[in-house]
Amino acid sequence: MSRLQKIPVVEEKKGNPLARVFDDLVRFCRSRSLFILHYCTGCGAIELPPAMTSRFDMERLGIQPMVSPRQADILLITGYVSIKTLKRVILTYEQMGSPKYVVGICSCTVNGGMYWQSYATAKKLDEYMPVDLYIAGCMPRPEAVISGLQKLMDRINSGEADSWQDYYRNYDYYLGNQQKLFGEDWQTPTDIITEAKHYELMGEGTLGQHTRLLEQHQKPLEALEMRLGHNIKEPVE
Amino acid sequence: MAPIELLIELTLMPLIAFIVGMMMVLMMRRIAARIQRRIGPPFFQPLYDIIKLHGKRTQVSHGLIHDIGIVMAMGGYIAAETLLPVPGMNGIAEKGGLITLLYLMMIPSLGLALGVGQCANPNGSIGIARALTAMLAYDIPLVIVIFGVAYAAGTTNLVEIIATQQAGGFATWGVVEMPLLAIAGLIAMHASLGKQPFEIYIAPAEIATGPMVEMSGKYLGGLFVMQCFQLYTTSVLYVSLFLGGGTTWFDFLIKSFLVLAIPVSIAYLFPRYRTEDLLRLMWKWPVMLGLIGLAFVM
Repeated sequence: MSRLQKIPVVEEKKGNPLARVFDDLVRFCRSRSLFILHYCTGCGAIELPPAMTSRFDMERLGIQPMVSPRQADILLITGYVSIKTLKRVILTYEQMGSPKYVVGICSCTVNGGMYWQSYATAKKLDEYMPVDLYIAGCMPRPEAVISGLQKLMDRINSGEADSWQDYYRNYDYYLGNQQKLFGEDWQTPTDIITEAKHYELMGEGTLGQHTRLLEQHQKPLEALEMRLGHNIKEPVE
Repeated sequence: MAPIELLIELTLMPLIAFIVGMMMVLMMRRIAARIQRRIGPPFFQPLYDIIKLHGKRTQVSHGLIHDIGIVMAMGGYIAAETLLPVPGMNGIAEKGGLITLLYLMMIPSLGLALGVGQCANPNGSIGIARALTAMLAYDIPLVIVIFGVAYAAGTTNLVEIIATQQAGGFATWGVVEMPLLAIAGLIAMHASLGKQPFEIYIAPAEIATGPMVEMSGKYLGGLFVMQCFQLYTTSVLYVSLFLGGGTTWFDFLIKSFLVLAIPVSIAYLFPRYRTEDLLRLMWKWPVMLGLIGLAFVM
């Protein structure tokens, strides 16, 4: 019986064949054009320049560095994530356009690595945001980084790498873990629940006790006050 | 000309410009890779990038002007393509002329300024301020050069300028008759492409790609398409003014790719100037060369 269960069941593809071809094309292009935003927190960052420059040249795979989260597809976190850093990583992640992928490089993102006993380090990255791929090692060499990214490309091409949807579908879980670290009044500028509603990505885990807590503490976002230098006097109240 | 025929030409010219422009982007990235001793991206990489960016699931818009700004940025160049004669097709080049073309080539920068303005990102605002300053810098030599060529030819009609050069052969090419203007034009063209040493408004390490900082998904995709048109328009304009246009597609494409290869090969060897240096440099050397060239023409 157990053998029978292992036989893969190929689901018959449904829908408009033309649309299916188009979906395949878009998936292929997604896998062949990856813009990286590297969040270089720790020592793993030193392995990225050789991976990008003349020795290992990532651009021949269509992977190229970008500088702002809006433009990027991959968030590459290279090393340990302290609690203060994690806030910025989450802000960055939420501003990226979907489909987006998170790649954790080095042991530190997997389980804290050599910072296991540190009180100020977030140990497992995938408790706070869905991670598509870990590249373990302390530190992984550029070959390992590139082979890991090639695996990610295969998974994107076959449609398996869809963990960005998980952030919308199980937002309550991720928000709960974030609240445990940052306190109850933790809030980001991006409204994930409204986005999930808009893109029809609501799951069973989107809303829960943690999102209710968020609603209690949520303050409406205001535009930053425009102020020029320190010469202008403080307004008298 | 029959209206149907004109309509086909007006559709085909931007389409060809887009395809050739994508190959120019590829050439630019390959040259950069070769200079840095890398292999470089695969052949279809620009197409992959554009399809991927338009296929993103979440598209972050910052408002109506943001949307319209991107359309203006692309539309300005698409309109400019119909005024640029290519072998076998003139479009509305005879009716438009050089001055209209010069106006249309300024629209993308203004559209980008509108669109980026609504993003309210400080990096974007700095970037667009620098982009408009750069436009101020390179437009003065560019206008002098175009005025010189038009004065020498006695017309602002691009079709006639090309026909005169083709009729007289190599000796009547703009680059032979007006070498000083050709050099000034090359420098102005390099600056208008916004590549290093004149890359003041992209500056990834300093202001996070400036105007592109808040662009995601199809907005960035639109800017990628705009870049294809930009490379095509600039190099084809130079080829039409100084290298006698093209009698066949073969020599037309070779000329325009070669012209583009000059600034691109220089670009990846240099760091970048500051804004005031760019302004000083552009208002001094190309303007001086252009004015001397103008004196020879007159």
